[in-house]
Amino acid sequence: MNNFNLAICLLMDKDILAQLGERIANDDQLAYRQLFIQFYTKLSRFVMGFTKNKELTDEIVSDVFINVWRRRTKMGEIKNLKLYLYVSAKNTTFNYLKKLHRENLTDLDMVEIELEDPFADPGAAMITREMNLKLKAAINDLPPRCKLIFTLIKEDGLSYKQTAQLLSVSVSTVENQISIALKKISGAVRYTFRHN
Amino acid sequence: MHNENNQRFWNLLSKKLANEANEVELDELKSILVSNPNLHHQADLITEMWEQRFQNGSFADEGAYMRHVMKYKDEFFAEESNQGGAPEFINEDLEDKKASFLLSLFSRESLRTNRLTIISLVTLIIGSIGAIYFLPGKKNAVAAAKQEFSSVVTKNGNRTKVVLPDGSQVWLNAGSSLDYNNSTFNKDLREVSLDGEAYFDVTRDESKPFIIHTKKMDIKVIGTTFNVRSYSDEKIAEAALIKGTIEVTLKDRDQKLVLKPNEKITVANEIPKPETKTEKITARSSPVPVPQIVVKELKPNATYNIIGEIAWTQNKLYFEDETLEHIGTLIERWFGKKVTIANESLKTVHYTGNFENETMEEVLSYLKLSKSFNFRIGTDNVVIY
Repeated sequence: MNNFNLAICLLMDKDILAQLGERIANDDQLAYRQLFIQFYTKLSRFVMGFTKNKELTDEIVSDVFINVWRRRTKMGEIKNLKLYLYVSAKNTTFNYLKKLHRENLTDLDMVEIELEDPFADPGAAMITREMNLKLKAAINDLPPRCKLIFTLIKEDGLSYKQTAQLLSVSVSTVENQISIALKKISGAVRYTFRHN
Repeated sequence: MHNENNQRFWNLLSKKLANEANEVELDELKSILVSNPNLHHQADLITEMWEQRFQNGSFADEGAYMRHVMKYKDEFFAEESNQGGAPEFINEDLEDKKASFLLSLFSRESLRTNRLTIISLVTLIIGSIGAIYFLPGKKNAVAAAKQEFSSVVTKNGNRTKVVLPDGSQVWLNAGSSLDYNNSTFNKDLREVSLDGEAYFDVTRDESKPFIIHTKKMDIKVIGTTFNVRSYSDEKIAEAALIKGTIEVTLKDRDQKLVLKPNEKITVANEIPKPETKTEKITARSSPVPVPQIVVKELKPNATYNIIGEIAWTQNKLYFEDETLEHIGTLIERWFGKKVTIANESLKTVHYTGNFENETMEEVLSYLKLSKSFNFRIGTDNVVIY
Protein backbone atom coordinates (compact mmCIF):
# COMPACT_ATOMS: atom_id res chain seq x y z
CA MET A 1 0.00 0.00 0.00
CA ASN A 2 1.57 3.28 -0.97
CA ASN A 3 1.35 6.32 1.21
CA PHE A 4 -1.36 8.01 -0.75
CA ASN A 5 -3.62 4.97 -0.55
CA LEU A 6 -2.90 4.63 3.11
CA ALA A 7 -3.91 8.23 3.67
CA ILE A 8 -7.15 7.64 1.78
CA CYS A 9 -7.81 4.54 3.86
CA LEU A 10 -7.29 6.40 7.09
CA LEU A 11 -9.49 9.20 5.90
CA MET A 12 -12.22 6.77 4.98
CA ASP A 13 -11.83 5.01 8.27
CA LYS A 14 -12.42 8.29 10.05
CA ASP A 15 -15.39 9.15 7.88
CA ILE A 16 -16.96 5.75 8.33
CA LEU A 17 -16.60 6.07 12.08
CA ALA A 18 -18.17 9.53 12.06
CA GLN A 19 -21.06 8.13 10.05
CA LEU A 20 -21.43 5.23 12.45
CA GLY A 21 -21.62 7.74 15.31
CA GLU A 22 -24.36 9.66 13.57
CA ARG A 23 -26.32 6.53 12.80
CA ILE A 24 -26.04 5.33 16.38
CA ALA A 25 -27.36 8.70 17.51
CA ASN A 26 -30.39 7.88 15.38
CA ASP A 27 -31.00 4.59 17.22
CA ASP A 28 -29.49 2.50 14.46
CA GLN A 29 -28.68 -0.84 16.05
CA LEU A 30 -26.97 -2.15 12.96
CA ALA A 31 -24.46 0.70 13.15
CA TYR A 32 -24.02 -0.03 16.83
CA ARG A 33 -23.35 -3.66 16.05
CA GLN A 34 -20.80 -2.68 13.43
CA LEU A 35 -18.99 -0.47 15.94
CA PHE A 36 -19.01 -3.24 18.51
CA ILE A 37 -17.62 -5.82 16.12
CA GLN A 38 -14.98 -3.46 14.83
CA PHE A 39 -13.61 -2.64 18.27
CA TYR A 40 -14.50 -5.53 20.54
CA THR A 41 -11.29 -7.51 20.15
CA LYS A 42 -9.07 -4.44 20.17
CA LEU A 43 -10.61 -2.93 23.29
CA SER A 44 -10.58 -6.33 25.00
CA ARG A 45 -6.87 -6.69 24.34
CA PHE A 46 -6.23 -3.20 25.71
CA VAL A 47 -8.34 -3.73 28.85
CA MET A 48 -6.95 -7.22 29.40
CA GLY A 49 -3.47 -5.70 29.55
CA PHE A 50 -4.49 -4.00 32.77
CA THR A 51 -6.92 -6.46 34.35
CA LYS A 52 -5.22 -9.74 33.31
CA ASN A 53 -8.60 -11.30 33.93
CA LYS A 54 -10.87 -12.48 31.13
CA GLU A 55 -14.15 -12.22 33.04
CA LEU A 56 -13.43 -8.74 34.31
CA THR A 57 -12.34 -7.67 30.83
CA ASP A 58 -15.64 -8.90 29.33
CA GLU A 59 -17.56 -6.91 31.93
CA ILE A 60 -15.61 -3.75 31.30
CA VAL A 61 -15.81 -3.87 27.51
CA SER A 62 -19.52 -4.61 27.67
CA ASP A 63 -19.84 -1.67 30.05
CA VAL A 64 -18.01 0.63 27.62
CA PHE A 65 -20.36 -0.33 24.81
CA ILE A 66 -23.58 -0.15 26.78
CA ASN A 67 -22.60 3.37 27.76
CA VAL A 68 -22.24 4.21 24.09
CA TRP A 69 -25.82 3.00 23.61
CA ARG A 70 -27.11 4.83 26.67
CA ARG A 71 -25.49 8.06 25.54
CA ARG A 72 -26.19 7.41 21.89
CA THR A 73 -27.91 10.76 21.33
CA LYS A 74 -24.48 12.35 21.83
CA MET A 75 -22.57 9.98 19.55
CA GLY A 76 -23.03 12.12 16.46
CA GLU A 77 -21.19 14.98 18.15
CA ILE A 78 -18.12 13.06 19.23
CA LYS A 79 -15.22 14.19 17.06
CA ASN A 80 -13.14 11.09 17.47
CA LEU A 81 -15.17 8.04 18.26
CA LYS A 82 -12.15 5.74 18.28
CA LEU A 83 -10.28 7.75 20.89
CA TYR A 84 -13.52 8.10 22.83
CA LEU A 85 -13.85 4.31 23.03
CA TYR A 86 -10.28 3.82 24.21
CA VAL A 87 -10.47 6.59 26.79
CA SER A 88 -13.77 5.22 27.99
CA ALA A 89 -12.24 1.73 28.22
CA LYS A 90 -9.30 3.08 30.19
CA ASN A 91 -11.48 5.04 32.61
CA THR A 92 -13.87 2.16 33.13
CA THR A 93 -10.96 -0.19 33.74
CA PHE A 94 -9.36 2.15 36.24
CA ASN A 95 -12.66 2.58 38.07
CA TYR A 96 -13.13 -1.16 38.35
CA LEU A 97 -9.58 -1.69 39.53
CA LYS A 98 -10.04 1.03 42.12
CA LYS A 99 -13.19 -0.61 43.43
CA LEU A 100 -11.38 -3.90 43.61
CA HIS A 101 -8.46 -2.17 45.40
CA ARG A 102 -6.04 -3.11 42.66
CA GLU A 103 -4.90 0.36 41.66
CA ASN A 104 -1.36 -0.90 41.37
CA LEU A 105 -2.38 -2.44 38.06
CA THR A 106 -2.95 0.95 36.45
CA ASP A 107 0.81 1.49 36.18
CA LEU A 108 1.79 1.44 32.50
CA ASP A 109 4.90 -0.55 33.34
CA MET A 110 2.69 -3.30 34.72
CA VAL A 111 0.64 -3.71 31.58
CA GLU A 112 0.80 -7.10 29.88
CA ILE A 113 -0.56 -6.97 26.35
CA GLU A 114 -1.19 -10.39 24.84
CA LEU A 115 -1.03 -10.54 21.08
CA GLU A 116 -2.73 -13.15 18.93
CA ASP A 117 -0.62 -15.15 16.50
CA PRO A 118 0.28 -13.10 13.49
CA PHE A 119 -0.82 -14.76 10.30
CA ALA A 120 1.62 -15.05 7.43
CA ASP A 121 0.11 -12.94 4.71
CA PRO A 122 0.30 -14.95 1.47
CA GLY A 123 1.43 -11.73 -0.21
CA ALA A 124 4.33 -11.28 2.17
CA ALA A 125 7.52 -11.82 0.23
CA MET A 126 9.98 -11.91 3.07
CA ILE A 127 8.07 -13.23 6.04
CA THR A 128 7.57 -16.94 6.39
CA ARG A 129 5.38 -18.63 8.95
CA GLU A 130 8.48 -19.50 10.93
CA MET A 131 9.75 -15.97 10.87
CA ASN A 132 6.36 -14.83 12.04
CA LEU A 133 6.77 -16.77 15.23
CA LYS A 134 10.14 -15.14 15.77
CA LEU A 135 8.60 -11.75 15.22
CA LYS A 136 5.91 -12.58 17.72
CA ALA A 137 8.50 -13.65 20.26
CA ALA A 138 10.43 -10.44 19.69
CA ILE A 139 7.27 -8.36 20.12
CA ASN A 140 6.36 -10.27 23.26
CA ASP A 141 9.77 -9.53 24.70
CA LEU A 142 9.29 -5.78 24.42
CA PRO A 143 9.06 -3.93 27.73
CA PRO A 144 5.41 -3.51 28.84
CA ARG A 145 4.99 0.19 28.08
CA CYS A 146 6.79 -0.15 24.76
CA LYS A 147 4.63 -3.10 23.72
CA LEU A 148 1.45 -1.29 24.71
CA ILE A 149 2.36 1.74 22.60
CA PHE A 150 3.44 -0.45 19.69
CA THR A 151 0.13 -2.34 19.78
CA LEU A 152 -2.01 0.78 19.99
CA ILE A 153 -0.29 2.33 17.00
CA LYS A 154 0.30 -0.68 14.78
CA GLU A 155 -2.69 -2.89 15.52
CA ASP A 156 -5.31 -0.42 16.65
CA GLY A 157 -4.29 2.37 14.30
CA LEU A 158 -4.20 5.15 16.87
CA SER A 159 -2.10 8.19 16.00
CA TYR A 160 0.88 9.29 18.08
CA LYS A 161 -1.19 12.11 19.51
CA GLN A 162 -4.15 9.90 20.38
CA THR A 163 -1.88 7.36 22.02
CA ALA A 164 -0.22 10.13 24.04
CA GLN A 165 -3.60 11.48 25.14
CA LEU A 166 -4.91 8.05 26.03
CA LEU A 167 -1.91 7.07 28.12
CA SER A 168 -1.26 10.55 29.54
CA VAL A 169 2.29 10.60 28.23
CA SER A 170 4.01 13.06 25.87
CA VAL A 171 4.02 12.65 22.09
CA SER A 172 7.83 12.41 22.19
CA THR A 173 7.56 9.47 24.61
CA VAL A 174 5.30 7.75 22.11
CA GLU A 175 7.75 8.57 19.32
CA ASN A 176 10.67 7.15 21.28
CA GLN A 177 8.87 4.02 22.39
CA ILE A 178 7.66 3.07 18.94
CA SER A 179 11.17 3.59 17.50
CA ILE A 180 12.63 1.43 20.25
CA ALA A 181 10.04 -1.24 19.50
CA LEU A 182 10.88 -1.39 15.80
CA LYS A 183 14.59 -1.35 16.42
CA LYS A 184 14.36 -4.20 18.91
CA ILE A 185 12.09 -6.29 16.72
CA SER A 186 14.37 -5.78 13.75
CA GLY A 187 17.41 -6.68 15.83
CA ALA A 188 15.85 -9.89 17.07
CA VAL A 189 14.82 -11.06 13.61
CA ARG A 190 18.12 -10.09 12.08
CA TYR A 191 19.91 -12.06 14.73
CA THR A 192 17.96 -15.23 14.05
CA PHE A 193 18.34 -14.60 10.34
CA ARG A 194 22.11 -14.81 10.53
CA HIS A 195 22.00 -18.11 12.31
CA ASN A 196 19.68 -19.76 9.84
CA MET B 1 26.55 4.79 10.59
CA HIS B 2 26.55 6.87 13.75
CA ASN B 3 24.39 5.80 16.58
CA GLU B 4 22.54 9.09 16.49
CA ASN B 5 21.80 8.61 12.83
CA ASN B 6 20.59 5.10 13.51
CA GLN B 7 18.18 6.43 16.08
CA ARG B 8 16.89 8.91 13.55
CA PHE B 9 16.36 6.14 11.01
CA TRP B 10 14.11 4.15 13.34
CA ASN B 11 12.32 7.28 14.35
CA LEU B 12 11.55 8.20 10.75
CA LEU B 13 10.63 4.67 9.74
CA SER B 14 8.18 4.47 12.65
CA LYS B 15 6.63 7.73 11.61
CA LYS B 16 6.30 6.59 8.04
CA LEU B 17 4.60 3.34 9.01
CA ALA B 18 2.29 5.02 11.50
CA ASN B 19 1.43 7.55 8.81
CA GLU B 20 2.80 10.36 10.94
CA ALA B 21 5.62 11.47 8.66
CA ASN B 22 5.48 14.65 6.61
CA GLU B 23 7.08 15.17 3.19
CA VAL B 24 10.35 16.49 4.63
CA GLU B 25 10.67 13.51 6.94
CA LEU B 26 9.91 11.07 4.15
CA ASP B 27 12.65 12.66 2.04
CA GLU B 28 15.04 12.49 4.93
CA LEU B 29 14.27 8.80 5.38
CA LYS B 30 14.89 8.22 1.70
CA SER B 31 18.26 9.90 1.81
CA ILE B 32 19.29 7.92 4.89
CA LEU B 33 18.41 4.75 3.01
CA VAL B 34 20.33 5.88 -0.06
CA SER B 35 23.48 6.50 1.95
CA ASN B 36 23.03 3.36 4.09
CA PRO B 37 22.08 0.49 1.78
CA ASN B 38 22.56 -1.92 4.67
CA LEU B 39 19.36 -0.56 6.20
CA HIS B 40 17.23 -1.51 3.21
CA HIS B 41 16.66 -5.06 4.27
CA GLN B 42 15.63 -4.06 7.77
CA ALA B 43 13.32 -1.37 6.50
CA ASP B 44 11.63 -3.80 4.10
CA LEU B 45 11.26 -6.50 6.70
CA ILE B 46 9.82 -4.17 9.32
CA THR B 47 7.46 -2.66 6.74
CA GLU B 48 6.19 -6.09 5.85
CA MET B 49 5.83 -6.99 9.51
CA TRP B 50 3.87 -3.78 10.07
CA GLU B 51 1.43 -4.58 7.32
CA GLN B 52 0.50 -7.94 8.77
CA ARG B 53 -2.41 -7.97 11.14
CA PHE B 54 -2.46 -10.00 14.28
CA GLN B 55 -6.17 -10.14 14.20
CA ASN B 56 -7.99 -11.31 11.13
CA GLY B 57 -11.58 -10.64 12.12
CA SER B 58 -13.73 -13.47 13.39
CA PHE B 59 -17.19 -14.64 14.19
CA ALA B 60 -16.17 -14.68 17.84
CA ASP B 61 -16.88 -10.96 17.86
CA GLU B 62 -20.38 -11.64 16.58
CA GLY B 63 -20.93 -14.01 19.49
CA ALA B 64 -19.64 -11.41 21.93
CA TYR B 65 -22.07 -8.91 20.46
CA MET B 66 -24.96 -11.28 20.97
CA ARG B 67 -23.97 -11.87 24.59
CA HIS B 68 -23.70 -8.13 25.07
CA VAL B 69 -27.14 -7.46 23.61
CA MET B 70 -28.68 -10.28 25.62
CA LYS B 71 -27.12 -8.99 28.79
CA TYR B 72 -28.80 -5.63 28.31
CA LYS B 73 -31.75 -6.89 26.34
CA ASP B 74 -34.21 -4.67 28.17
CA GLU B 75 -32.46 -1.62 26.87
CA PHE B 76 -32.27 -2.84 23.31
CA PHE B 77 -35.55 -4.64 23.04
CA ALA B 78 -37.63 -2.00 24.79
CA GLU B 79 -36.59 0.46 22.17
CA GLU B 80 -39.10 -0.67 19.61
CA SER B 81 -41.81 -3.25 19.73
CA ASN B 82 -44.46 -4.21 17.24
CA GLN B 83 -46.96 -4.06 20.04
CA GLY B 84 -46.86 -0.36 19.29
CA GLY B 85 -46.52 2.61 21.56
CA ALA B 86 -43.82 5.24 21.53
CA PRO B 87 -40.30 3.87 21.52
CA GLU B 88 -39.22 3.97 25.11
CA PHE B 89 -35.76 4.13 26.52
CA ILE B 90 -35.08 2.66 29.88
CA ASN B 91 -32.42 4.76 31.53
CA GLU B 92 -31.52 2.86 34.61
CA ASP B 93 -29.55 4.41 37.35
CA LEU B 94 -25.92 4.02 36.35
CA GLU B 95 -24.60 3.44 39.84
CA ASP B 96 -27.09 0.65 40.43
CA LYS B 97 -26.00 -0.91 37.19
CA LYS B 98 -22.36 -0.64 38.15
CA ALA B 99 -23.06 -2.35 41.45
CA SER B 100 -24.86 -5.16 39.73
CA PHE B 101 -21.97 -5.52 37.26
CA LEU B 102 -19.62 -6.15 40.14
CA LEU B 103 -21.97 -8.71 41.61
CA SER B 104 -22.43 -10.38 38.28
CA LEU B 105 -18.68 -10.84 38.05
CA PHE B 106 -19.01 -13.54 40.61
CA SER B 107 -22.14 -15.15 39.30
CA ARG B 108 -21.50 -15.57 35.65
CA GLU B 109 -22.92 -19.06 35.64
CA SER B 110 -26.37 -17.76 36.41
CA LEU B 111 -25.97 -15.23 33.65
CA ARG B 112 -24.96 -17.91 31.25
CA THR B 113 -27.93 -20.18 31.86
CA ASN B 114 -30.43 -17.38 31.52
CA ARG B 115 -28.88 -16.19 28.38
CA LEU B 116 -30.83 -16.53 25.22
CA THR B 117 -28.64 -17.53 22.38
CA ILE B 118 -29.20 -16.00 19.04
CA ILE B 119 -28.97 -18.56 16.35
CA SER B 120 -29.98 -16.98 13.16
CA LEU B 121 -29.47 -13.96 11.05
CA VAL B 122 -31.71 -14.12 8.07
CA THR B 123 -32.43 -11.86 5.20
CA LEU B 124 -35.47 -12.41 3.10
CA ILE B 125 -36.73 -10.67 0.08
CA ILE B 126 -40.04 -11.99 -0.95
CA GLY B 127 -43.04 -11.48 -3.07
CA SER B 128 -44.67 -8.59 -4.76
CA ILE B 129 -44.03 -5.58 -2.67
CA GLY B 130 -46.74 -4.33 -0.41
CA ALA B 131 -49.55 -5.72 -2.53
CA ILE B 132 -51.12 -8.36 -0.33
CA TYR B 133 -51.06 -6.86 3.11
CA PHE B 134 -52.09 -3.33 3.59
CA LEU B 135 -51.44 -2.06 7.05
CA PRO B 136 -49.45 1.10 6.51
CA GLY B 137 -48.09 1.82 9.95
CA LYS B 138 -47.55 1.13 13.57
CA LYS B 139 -51.00 2.26 14.65
CA ASN B 140 -52.50 -0.47 12.59
CA ALA B 141 -50.06 -2.95 14.00
CA VAL B 142 -51.40 -2.12 17.45
CA ALA B 143 -54.95 -2.65 16.31
CA ALA B 144 -53.96 -5.89 14.64
CA ALA B 145 -52.15 -7.11 17.72
CA LYS B 146 -55.44 -7.39 19.55
CA GLN B 147 -56.76 -9.53 16.79
CA GLU B 148 -55.36 -12.80 15.69
CA PHE B 149 -52.79 -11.55 13.22
CA SER B 150 -49.96 -9.14 13.66
CA SER B 151 -48.62 -7.33 10.67
CA VAL B 152 -45.77 -4.89 10.39
CA VAL B 153 -45.40 -2.95 7.18
CA THR B 154 -42.73 -0.59 5.90
CA LYS B 155 -43.25 1.79 3.03
CA ASN B 156 -40.70 2.38 0.31
CA GLY B 157 -37.86 4.51 1.63
CA ASN B 158 -38.39 3.32 5.23
CA ARG B 159 -36.85 0.60 7.32
CA THR B 160 -37.84 -0.53 10.77
CA LYS B 161 -37.03 -2.99 13.53
CA VAL B 162 -39.45 -5.35 15.24
CA VAL B 163 -39.14 -7.64 18.23
CA LEU B 164 -41.23 -10.80 18.05
CA PRO B 165 -42.88 -12.34 21.16
CA ASP B 166 -40.09 -14.93 21.45
CA GLY B 167 -37.42 -12.22 21.53
CA SER B 168 -36.30 -12.71 17.93
CA GLN B 169 -35.44 -9.46 16.23
CA VAL B 170 -36.37 -8.55 12.71
CA TRP B 171 -35.10 -5.66 10.65
CA LEU B 172 -37.55 -4.95 7.86
CA ASN B 173 -36.28 -3.36 4.70
CA ALA B 174 -38.29 -0.87 2.67
CA GLY B 175 -41.53 -1.92 1.07
CA SER B 176 -41.93 -5.11 3.10
CA SER B 177 -44.43 -6.71 5.40
CA LEU B 178 -44.09 -9.34 8.10
CA ASP B 179 -47.08 -11.26 9.45
CA TYR B 180 -47.67 -13.86 12.08
CA ASN B 181 -50.52 -15.38 14.00
CA ASN B 182 -50.60 -14.12 17.57
CA SER B 183 -52.43 -17.08 19.04
CA THR B 184 -50.24 -19.77 17.53
CA PHE B 185 -46.83 -18.11 17.28
CA ASN B 186 -44.49 -19.62 19.84
CA LYS B 187 -46.86 -22.49 20.75
CA ASP B 188 -45.37 -25.44 18.88
CA LEU B 189 -43.78 -23.54 16.07
CA ARG B 190 -42.71 -20.02 15.36
CA GLU B 191 -44.11 -19.21 11.96
CA VAL B 192 -43.97 -15.91 10.10
CA SER B 193 -44.83 -14.87 6.57
CA LEU B 194 -42.71 -12.40 4.76
CA ASP B 195 -43.33 -10.30 1.74
CA GLY B 196 -40.32 -8.13 0.94
CA GLU B 197 -36.96 -8.20 2.64
CA ALA B 198 -35.94 -8.77 6.22
CA TYR B 199 -32.93 -9.55 8.35
CA PHE B 200 -33.66 -11.89 11.26
CA ASP B 201 -31.94 -12.49 14.57
CA VAL B 202 -33.73 -15.60 15.70
CA THR B 203 -33.69 -16.63 19.35
CA ARG B 204 -32.61 -20.23 19.79
CA ASP B 205 -35.33 -22.66 20.80
CA GLU B 206 -34.86 -26.15 19.41
CA SER B 207 -38.26 -27.32 20.57
CA LYS B 208 -39.99 -24.66 18.49
CA PRO B 209 -38.54 -24.38 15.00
CA PHE B 210 -38.63 -20.99 13.39
CA ILE B 211 -40.18 -21.12 9.92
CA ILE B 212 -40.32 -18.31 7.42
CA HIS B 213 -42.96 -18.71 4.73
CA THR B 214 -42.30 -17.07 1.40
CA LYS B 215 -43.92 -17.36 -1.95
CA LYS B 216 -41.58 -19.97 -3.36
CA MET B 217 -39.82 -21.37 -0.33
CA ASP B 218 -40.30 -22.19 3.30
CA ILE B 219 -37.16 -21.70 5.30
CA LYS B 220 -36.64 -23.59 8.50
CA VAL B 221 -33.94 -22.27 10.75
CA ILE B 222 -31.58 -24.87 12.08
CA GLY B 223 -28.30 -23.03 12.28
CA THR B 224 -26.95 -19.56 12.34
CA THR B 225 -26.41 -16.93 9.66
CA PHE B 226 -28.15 -16.87 6.34
CA ASN B 227 -29.80 -14.75 3.77
CA VAL B 228 -32.88 -15.47 1.70
CA ARG B 229 -34.18 -13.57 -1.23
CA SER B 230 -37.29 -14.20 -3.26
CA TYR B 231 -38.78 -11.67 -5.63
CA SER B 232 -42.04 -12.55 -7.26
CA ASP B 233 -41.86 -9.44 -9.37
CA GLU B 234 -38.41 -10.51 -10.48
CA LYS B 235 -37.27 -13.74 -11.97
CA ILE B 236 -35.49 -15.56 -9.22
CA ALA B 237 -35.66 -16.33 -5.53
CA GLU B 238 -32.59 -17.15 -3.53
CA ALA B 239 -31.31 -18.21 -0.13
CA ALA B 240 -27.69 -17.66 0.84
CA LEU B 241 -26.14 -19.24 3.89
CA ILE B 242 -23.33 -17.47 5.63
CA LYS B 243 -22.91 -19.66 8.68
CA GLY B 244 -24.62 -22.70 10.16
CA THR B 245 -27.44 -24.65 8.53
CA ILE B 246 -30.81 -23.89 7.01
CA GLU B 247 -33.40 -26.18 5.53
CA VAL B 248 -35.20 -24.93 2.48
CA THR B 249 -38.45 -26.51 1.30
CA LEU B 250 -39.39 -25.71 -2.27
CA LYS B 251 -43.13 -25.41 -2.36
CA ASP B 252 -43.73 -26.32 -6.00
CA ARG B 253 -41.90 -29.60 -5.93
CA ASP B 254 -42.14 -30.56 -2.29
CA GLN B 255 -38.39 -30.92 -2.19
CA LYS B 256 -36.15 -30.28 0.81
CA LEU B 257 -32.60 -29.01 0.66
CA VAL B 258 -30.10 -28.33 3.40
CA LEU B 259 -27.65 -25.57 2.68
CA LYS B 260 -24.05 -25.64 3.87
CA PRO B 261 -22.16 -22.49 4.84
CA ASN B 262 -21.18 -20.23 1.95
CA GLU B 263 -23.73 -21.74 -0.36
CA LYS B 264 -26.48 -19.98 -2.15
CA ILE B 265 -29.53 -21.55 -3.74
CA THR B 266 -31.26 -19.82 -6.61
CA VAL B 267 -34.73 -20.85 -7.72
CA ALA B 268 -36.55 -19.71 -10.83
CA ASN B 269 -39.57 -17.81 -9.70
CA GLU B 270 -41.78 -18.10 -12.77
CA ILE B 271 -40.80 -19.16 -16.24
CA PRO B 272 -38.93 -16.07 -17.28
CA LYS B 273 -37.63 -15.15 -20.66
CA PRO B 274 -33.97 -16.14 -20.86
CA GLU B 275 -32.33 -12.75 -20.60
CA THR B 276 -30.29 -10.36 -18.48
CA LYS B 277 -29.76 -11.47 -14.92
CA THR B 278 -30.63 -15.09 -15.50
CA GLU B 279 -27.43 -15.33 -17.50
CA LYS B 280 -25.52 -15.19 -14.28
CA ILE B 281 -27.22 -18.17 -12.76
CA THR B 282 -26.97 -20.38 -15.78
CA ALA B 283 -23.29 -20.93 -15.26
CA ARG B 284 -23.83 -24.57 -14.40
CA SER B 285 -26.04 -25.57 -17.29
CA SER B 286 -26.76 -24.67 -20.88
CA PRO B 287 -27.51 -20.99 -21.27
CA VAL B 288 -30.92 -21.20 -22.89
CA PRO B 289 -33.42 -22.63 -20.39
CA VAL B 290 -33.43 -20.99 -16.99
CA PRO B 291 -32.37 -23.62 -14.50
CA GLN B 292 -35.01 -24.34 -11.94
CA ILE B 293 -32.58 -24.73 -9.07
CA VAL B 294 -28.92 -23.82 -8.81
CA VAL B 295 -26.66 -24.13 -5.80
CA LYS B 296 -23.45 -22.18 -5.94
CA GLU B 297 -20.75 -20.72 -3.79
CA LEU B 298 -21.32 -17.42 -2.04
CA LYS B 299 -18.54 -14.91 -2.40
CA PRO B 300 -18.09 -11.48 -0.88
CA ASN B 301 -17.24 -8.78 -3.35
CA ALA B 302 -13.47 -8.44 -3.28
CA THR B 303 -13.37 -4.71 -3.89
CA TYR B 304 -15.89 -3.64 -1.30
CA ASN B 305 -15.49 -6.65 1.01
CA ILE B 306 -19.21 -6.97 1.47
CA ILE B 307 -21.66 -9.72 0.80
CA GLY B 308 -24.16 -8.22 -1.60
CA GLU B 309 -27.16 -10.01 -0.13
CA ILE B 310 -26.85 -8.42 3.29
CA ALA B 311 -25.36 -5.07 2.29
CA TRP B 312 -28.63 -3.32 3.03
CA THR B 313 -28.38 -4.27 6.70
CA GLN B 314 -25.21 -2.18 6.77
CA ASN B 315 -27.10 0.69 5.21
CA LYS B 316 -25.50 0.05 1.86
CA LEU B 317 -27.25 0.23 -1.45
CA TYR B 318 -25.25 -2.37 -3.30
CA PHE B 319 -25.59 -4.07 -6.66
CA GLU B 320 -23.18 -6.01 -8.78
CA ASP B 321 -23.44 -6.21 -12.53
CA GLU B 322 -27.19 -5.63 -12.46
CA THR B 323 -29.39 -4.24 -15.20
CA LEU B 324 -30.59 -0.69 -14.90
CA GLU B 325 -34.13 -2.09 -14.89
CA HIS B 326 -33.40 -4.03 -11.69
CA ILE B 327 -31.42 -1.14 -10.19
CA GLY B 328 -34.47 1.04 -10.84
CA THR B 329 -36.51 -1.25 -8.58
CA LEU B 330 -33.82 -1.15 -5.89
CA ILE B 331 -33.64 2.64 -6.03
CA GLU B 332 -37.41 2.83 -5.90
CA ARG B 333 -37.50 0.88 -2.66
CA TRP B 334 -34.43 2.54 -1.20
CA PHE B 335 -35.46 6.12 -1.75
CA GLY B 336 -39.22 5.68 -1.94
CA LYS B 337 -39.63 7.32 -5.33
CA LYS B 338 -41.26 5.72 -8.35
CA VAL B 339 -38.64 5.03 -11.02
CA THR B 340 -39.57 4.93 -14.68
CA ILE B 341 -37.12 4.07 -17.44
CA ALA B 342 -38.46 5.72 -20.55
CA ASN B 343 -35.79 4.42 -22.90
CA GLU B 344 -36.16 0.66 -23.52
CA SER B 345 -32.52 0.20 -24.57
CA LEU B 346 -31.26 1.53 -21.24
CA LYS B 347 -33.02 -1.20 -19.28
CA THR B 348 -30.49 -3.89 -20.13
CA VAL B 349 -27.36 -1.83 -19.45
CA HIS B 350 -25.39 -3.31 -16.54
CA TYR B 351 -23.95 -1.38 -13.59
CA THR B 352 -22.12 -2.12 -10.36
CA GLY B 353 -22.35 0.20 -7.40
CA ASN B 354 -21.90 0.56 -3.67
CA PHE B 355 -23.52 3.53 -1.98
CA GLU B 356 -23.93 4.42 1.62
CA ASN B 357 -24.97 7.97 2.32
CA GLU B 358 -25.42 9.31 -1.16
CA THR B 359 -28.62 11.02 -2.21
CA MET B 360 -30.67 9.66 -5.05
CA GLU B 361 -29.31 12.34 -7.34
CA GLU B 362 -25.73 11.42 -6.41
CA VAL B 363 -26.37 7.72 -7.02
CA LEU B 364 -27.80 8.39 -10.47
CA SER B 365 -25.02 10.83 -11.30
CA TYR B 366 -22.38 8.23 -10.42
CA LEU B 367 -24.07 5.59 -12.56
CA LYS B 368 -24.29 8.06 -15.39
CA LEU B 369 -20.51 8.43 -15.35
CA SER B 370 -19.93 4.84 -16.47
CA LYS B 371 -22.60 4.62 -19.16
CA SER B 372 -24.46 7.80 -19.84
CA PHE B 373 -28.18 8.48 -19.54
CA ASN B 374 -30.36 11.40 -18.54
CA PHE B 375 -32.64 11.61 -15.55
CA ARG B 376 -35.18 13.96 -14.08
CA ILE B 377 -36.16 13.83 -10.41
CA GLY B 378 -39.67 14.92 -9.51
CA THR B 379 -41.25 15.15 -6.05
CA ASP B 380 -42.23 11.50 -5.91
CA ASN B 381 -40.91 10.04 -9.11
CA VAL B 382 -37.82 9.80 -11.29
CA VAL B 383 -37.66 9.42 -15.02
CA ILE B 384 -34.56 7.94 -16.64
CA TYR B 385 -34.27 8.52 -20.37
